[in-house]
Amino acid sequence: MSATVAVRELTLAFEAGKTVLDCVSLNVGSREFVSLVGPSGCGKTTLLNLMAGLVPTPPSGSIEVLGGAPRLGHQGIAYQLARDSLLPWRDALGNASYGMQVRGVAREAREARARVMLAKVGLASFERALPKALSHGMRQRVALARTFALDAPLLLMDEPFGALDAQTKLTLEDQLLQLFQEEQRTVVFVTHDLAEAVALSDRVVVMSARPGRIVADVAIDLPRPRSVRALQKDPAFHALYARVWTHLESGWGGNDIDEAAHG
Amino acid sequence: MDSVRGNWFREFWPHLIFVTGLLVVWEWAAGQKMLNPAFFGSPSGISHYLWDNLFASPKLLIDFGWTALGTLSAFVLGSVSAVTVALLFVMYPKIEHFLEPYFSALNAMPRIALAPLFILWFGLGVGSKIAVGFSLTFFIVLSSTVAGIRGINPDHVTLSRTLGATPSQLFFLITLPGAVPVIFSGLRLGLIYALLGVVGGEIIASEHGLGQTLSYLSSTFHIDGVFALLLLLSLLGVAVVRGMTRLEKYLLRWQ
Repeated sequence: MSATVAVRELTLAFEAGKTVLDCVSLNVGSREFVSLVGPSGCGKTTLLNLMAGLVPTPPSGSIEVLGGAPRLGHQGIAYQLARDSLLPWRDALGNASYGMQVRGVAREAREARARVMLAKVGLASFERALPKALSHGMRQRVALARTFALDAPLLLMDEPFGALDAQTKLTLEDQLLQLFQEEQRTVVFVTHDLAEAVALSDRVVVMSARPGRIVADVAIDLPRPRSVRALQKDPAFHALYARVWTHLESGWGGNDIDEAAHG
Repeated sequence: MDSVRGNWFREFWPHLIFVTGLLVVWEWAAGQKMLNPAFFGSPSGISHYLWDNLFASPKLLIDFGWTALGTLSAFVLGSVSAVTVALLFVMYPKIEHFLEPYFSALNAMPRIALAPLFILWFGLGVGSKIAVGFSLTFFIVLSSTVAGIRGINPDHVTLSRTLGATPSQLFFLITLPGAVPVIFSGLRLGLIYALLGVVGGEIIASEHGLGQTLSYLSSTFHIDGVFALLLLLSLLGVAVVRGMTRLEKYLLRWQ
């Protein structure tokens, strides 16, 4: 099976003596949903940014994305940031089409596609609404629509629900599960929320505190389609959560415990 | 709509009464020689002057035209060059770093002090007035444009880079619309200062313009005329600000 993302023995240091990633190897298969979890500062976002080409590949180790070296602006990648990063001067439709516009999709085609995606995230009647008129959750839905509207097989998501309240988060997670089910993409998802990682993923990759190493790669064999709400009462979900938690704890390096508990 | 109009009337009445009262007292005091009309004029004298020079003869309209022409030219030239230089600064920070001390010094200088020099260089006509207005507008719009571009949300830039945006896409889709609010507050101030520079230049030495007429009237002790000119200038200033605010509200509906 050819991997969508293949990272081999990658070591990254921003400056001498400050290793961010330590001999990281990771394969992400096609149509897999893989979460990267770990204490803050463990380099999980850096790893994601390496895949996106936002961080240049270091000389030690190798990284391959969609069969080639990572390249910023790769048409096969859709990147989603922690904050919604909607353009405040564009309405929901304009924001949902923004990615396609940059990638040269003609106006009619991109607006038709954006309409479909907005309807899928439950915002059909908010096409003309400006971001200032939308709630946090709705804005993040528009961001999801913008990401999925791109014809990109690989989605790289950096804590997209990190800033949402618990209730909204559950709804958005279900939304993402549904989109993942329907749209058949590969997702690499960075989060510090273990429950979120277990509920969404096929595999949860646990990283240790800096320098970031992969300490566990846990397969989440919960059947799909899933519902995050239903999983809350599922003993299998809680057992997996406990397993991941144990690995995460073992990866904490002594004095980083406080920071990890917050982040 | 009706309630808005109703509010407007309710707001308007006290002002009408206040201004009418002031004018009546002023006229009465001037008639009784309690206020010296040679220093303070009188409302009836001012309206006579306005009637004679606005309607009976178009003298003030012509002056108004010259001042407006100077202001508009100074504003357009100043803003366009300021935005251009600002883009250069943002693209090549080294240029900004080098020029910064000179620009700071120029900007700190009271620009009206340059007016005599500009009059020598560009003559008594509208050219020297445009130069004074330009020297004020340029720096105001420059600093606000640089601030506006620097203040762009970095998330928007990151997102666009991951999408593979070209430099021109980045500029037209992100930088420009994102910087417009800050640029606009600079433009509004720049327009007011363009008017200030032009009228100031006209007062110092000129062939035409409201400032030139104002200076002539005050040196010949035509105080009614001076007050009439001040009234016109303040109306012009209000109109300029109102116009900019409207345009801003329209362009920044999304805020």
